Amino acid sequence: MAYSDKVVDHYNNPRNVGTLDKSSTEVGTGLVGAPECGDVMRLQIRVNPETQVIEEAKFKTFGCGSAIASSSLATEWIKGRTVEDALAIKNTDIVKELSLPPVKIHCSVLAEDAIRAAIGDWKKKNGVAEEAAVAAQAK
Amino acid sequence: MLKVIDSAIPVECWSCAVAHNESTLFCPHCSKIQPPPGGDYFSVFSLVPKLDLDLGMLEHQFHKLSRKLHPDRFARASVHEKDWSLADTALLNDAYRTLRDPIRRTEYLLKLRGAEIGEEHAGKDRKDPSRVPADLLEEAFDLNMQLEEMRMSKKMGDTDPDLQSGLEQARKKYNDMLDQVDSDLRAQWQVWDNGDEPARKEAEKKMVSLLDRRRYINNLVRDVTETLGS
Repeated sequence: MAYSDKVVDHYNNPRNVGTLDKSSTEVGTGLVGAPECGDVMRLQIRVNPETQVIEEAKFKTFGCGSAIASSSLATEWIKGRTVEDALAIKNTDIVKELSLPPVKIHCSVLAEDAIRAAIGDWKKKNGVAEEAAVAAQAK
Repeated sequence: MLKVIDSAIPVECWSCAVAHNESTLFCPHCSKIQPPPGGDYFSVFSLVPKLDLDLGMLEHQFHKLSRKLHPDRFARASVHEKDWSLADTALLNDAYRTLRDPIRRTEYLLKLRGAEIGEEHAGKDRKDPSRVPADLLEEAFDLNMQLEEMRMSKKMGDTDPDLQSGLEQARKKYNDMLDQVDSDLRAQWQVWDNGDEPARKEAEKKMVSLLDRRRYINNLVRDVTETLGS
């Protein structure tokens, strides 16, 4: 199976690899994994408390090229968006952008889950009421 | 490839025309070879689906059927029978390989029962958090960090003995976890084999998530072994 050019590009030059201070109240951390393939993905955001804008996003993913590309793309997309805006990103957007084949769709799901988990963690830390939609989000 | 058939529907033997159960390799009436039956792997051995199998019996049956299907026995038979002896042998081998392995047998039975295993269900069950071994995530992440560090330092030509022994301990721990998963799995075999339909459904759910957990831990052990060994 050949990876698309965009996947290869993100894989070779991943954007925003790194770590943010987990203990900071401005930082939300999402750690998700796929039991099927053993991929683990950590995505972190730093949110401006005044504007609710995600000013920094970092990730570290252990997994296949598609998982790395999906999380790399996710950090690019959420940077500069407000928290609510970032929640609008769907895994299908990632699939489209990276031309992921059907067997790799779960990588994009993982990336979407990571965004939600990071935002959920940030909301919890900052006492923002967790919307039921975040937990119940199916598709 | 898996076909769940209603084995209560008899088919006619091509040779003696006596109706027999579709899943036998040989006609119970005239003993003539039959075309590859459409039933499941268990029925090839005249077994009902079951998880706690007597492997000695299975092997004995396998050898017995293999001998009966041997191409030499069909040297003077019709072209059809020759073809069937080859096709039946292939089926018998697949069935034996699948059923004698405890994990493959469990996966096979779960698939027969309609469960989706491994990558097939990837990303589909987002509402069912039991599919993700969450307690393992943090550890898996840290372990991967250590592995990365180990690979780096190996590349540089030095190995940190602390890192090395840490990884060896981790491997031992995960191997113990695998043993635990296997014994949990065996307990569910008993529930499934002896249970009624609701108990079976419940056991199937548990086995699917145990297999997920097993695959996950197995991958971790494999990665540690690769990194330590190279």
